[in-house]
Amino acid sequence: MDSSRKSWLSRLGIVVIAAILVETISIVQFRRIHSIMEVEMDTRSHMALLSMQDRIGHMLDMTEGTMRENMLYLKFRLNDPDSIFRAMEYLIDDNTDVVGGGICFVPYYFPEKGRLYEPYAYKDGDTIYVEQIAGEDHDYTQNPFYIKVVESGRPDWSDPYLFETDSTRCLTSYSYPIKDEKGRVIAVCDLNVDVSWMGESLNAHQHFPSSFGMILTKDGRLVAGPPPSRASASMVEQAMELLRDEEESTSSSEMSVKTIRMKRDPYWQIAQVFKKDEVFADMRRMGLQQLLFILLGLAILFFMVNRFARSEKKLRDASERQARINGELEVARKIQREMLPESFPDGIYGLLEPAREVGGDLFDFYRRDGKLFFCIGDVSGKGVPSAMLMSVIHSLFRMVSQRIESPSGILKILNEQLCQGNDTNMFVTFFVGTIDYYTGRLRYANAGHDKPFLLSEGVSLLPAKSNLPLGVFPETLFEEQSLQLSPGCSLFLYTDGLTEAKHSGKQLFGRSRVQARLQEALSSGLDARQTVVSVFDEVRGFMGDAAQRDDLTMLLVQYNPSELVREHIDLKNHQEELSRLSDFLKGFCARVSLEQKLGLSLRLAAEEAVVNAISYAYPEGKEGLVSVYADSDRREVRFTIVDSGVPFDPTAVVPGDTRLDAQERPIGGLGILLTRKIMDSVSYSRKEGKNVLTLTKNIV
Amino acid sequence: MKTSVQEIDGKLVATLCGELDTAAAQETEVALQPLLQSRGKDIVIDCTELEYIASSGLRLLLSVLKQAQSVGSHVSLKNVNEVVRDVLDLTGFVSIFIFE
Repeated sequence: MDSSRKSWLSRLGIVVIAAILVETISIVQFRRIHSIMEVEMDTRSHMALLSMQDRIGHMLDMTEGTMRENMLYLKFRLNDPDSIFRAMEYLIDDNTDVVGGGICFVPYYFPEKGRLYEPYAYKDGDTIYVEQIAGEDHDYTQNPFYIKVVESGRPDWSDPYLFETDSTRCLTSYSYPIKDEKGRVIAVCDLNVDVSWMGESLNAHQHFPSSFGMILTKDGRLVAGPPPSRASASMVEQAMELLRDEEESTSSSEMSVKTIRMKRDPYWQIAQVFKKDEVFADMRRMGLQQLLFILLGLAILFFMVNRFARSEKKLRDASERQARINGELEVARKIQREMLPESFPDGIYGLLEPAREVGGDLFDFYRRDGKLFFCIGDVSGKGVPSAMLMSVIHSLFRMVSQRIESPSGILKILNEQLCQGNDTNMFVTFFVGTIDYYTGRLRYANAGHDKPFLLSEGVSLLPAKSNLPLGVFPETLFEEQSLQLSPGCSLFLYTDGLTEAKHSGKQLFGRSRVQARLQEALSSGLDARQTVVSVFDEVRGFMGDAAQRDDLTMLLVQYNPSELVREHIDLKNHQEELSRLSDFLKGFCARVSLEQKLGLSLRLAAEEAVVNAISYAYPEGKEGLVSVYADSDRREVRFTIVDSGVPFDPTAVVPGDTRLDAQERPIGGLGILLTRKIMDSVSYSRKEGKNVLTLTKNIV
Repeated sequence: MKTSVQEIDGKLVATLCGELDTAAAQETEVALQPLLQSRGKDIVIDCTELEYIASSGLRLLLSVLKQAQSVGSHVSLKNVNEVVRDVLDLTGFVSIFIFE
């Protein structure tokens, strides 16, 4: 499993945990709201039930009150059976709830009216009708209520019953015993109260489509219930079944029932029924919505976390990459630094300050064959691409100048190399010079670089031709120029990072400031290092806080021949001259103050080369001269052996094999071997009909 | 340059004194002639006072060594100073001579 998948899973894990947390919280909240709602529902239904109880109680009270109030008046009428109709009329009219009423007299109370007599009054709209309704087909004495009231002598509320002529209406009757002076029941007065409204009222303002209210008798029969549109018969039955338990609050899986029982006759039970799924349907829907919102939110969260993590990973990757690049740049900077000369002999000092980690400037110098080779260059652009090209140029310069002495020749080859495959069209301004320590001859060639300053009597620009930079045209010719330097003269080379340094006000440092600074340094007699550092300090001071925009390079080389020892001897091509050579060499070594061992080996190297020339330069019997020049500036010893003999290059001779044993060894060929082993360089040239052999050895 | 050859304890001992440069090589070659008739005797070349040697001097030593080896005698160099030792080193002569 790769790491990106791993981190993706861990992010998913975080979101899943977040989801579980949020869901748990919402479930707890859901439960709380659920229970709050339940309490609320309980309270509300209890209130509704209480209010209903009040209303029913009020109706009952009113009916009972009506009965009591009219009873006296009614009793007055008992003497005249027919006038009772009138009394009933009043009685019924007195109470809007009462729809009808009659008085059932005990059998034969009015003998003239026969066994049964029941004057009855009823309302039909605004009109009240009266009639005697008892007969053989309507024998009230068989009616249990009648029997009950007669026997008990106490008023009683009947269970509700359907209206005879209108089955949608429901009635209940209040039966009141009418007693004579002796307390005997002589009749039962019934008031029929329409209780249809109770069911309507209970169910008129239900919150939920299937919740309903109902009223039951004390033995559990239905007094008033919901219309069939609101609740099915089975629902009603189910509710009635639950109510048998006499609990204030009961519930089944489907419904919950709240109830109160009236504290007075007829002790009806008023109940409110809720269908559970309905009550909490909204809440469930709400919960479901909430769940969906949360899931949506979490999905968005996951998406964002994922994106954030991805972008954070990108950022981390980028910063790691940056750190790696920085590390590599640091290494590159070190490498580039190490390519520059690290130590400076007296009279030479260079300084390179790249604008970035790595730069496209370079300078270099080294001594070879009594000459100082030096160069300064500036690759177009800055940063890594310039630095890479700079490294190439630097190596090329080292390689080419090992073989070629002429500055223009060096430039020519550098240019040809650079022009090959220079697709990026980068170019390099370059200045190469050589100073011959023994003659003070400066040779130089310029490839589009800033003219160096010459510090001698005063400070002036070196009259250098500009020429084209390197890498522009392969055919460019670089004119070589030369100048005789007097002892103490210096060349100050620089790149445009110096003259084009800006301070915050955008003003350039300029050549005149450099010249003035150099003039001061010259007047104060500063050495090479002090001079370069003072220019650097000046430009730094000038720039202030402004950022360095370009690489800044300076190189100062001084021609200082005060330490020179130069000696010369002409020898004839005779073996006898060799003792003169020995004396000459001994004297030279002494004057250069060479340490004895080094002196002896240098003497050996020179002697072998001179003996070679004396022995072989001229044909047998022909006289000739061999001139020996011994020079030293106390850094290097140089022997130059010149003869006018036949062209002969001793450096082309294959040296003897030093691993052979005694018998196989040739007697000759040892001399040139010793010379080459001892000296740093042995070079041969044929000049103006002469063999010139130059031996050099660094003695520092 | 002074050169002498003596016979000590059945060995030919040549003492080289001074600088054996090319100028001195001819006279030294003459002085070392007795070594070329060693007739099987071992040769010791005492370099205690040899200050300098050039390739012509090395050639002399090589001639002596070749001659001696051809008649089965050994040549050893005695008390070689540092300068001379370096030259012998550079030319590979260190490997063909015996040093005492």
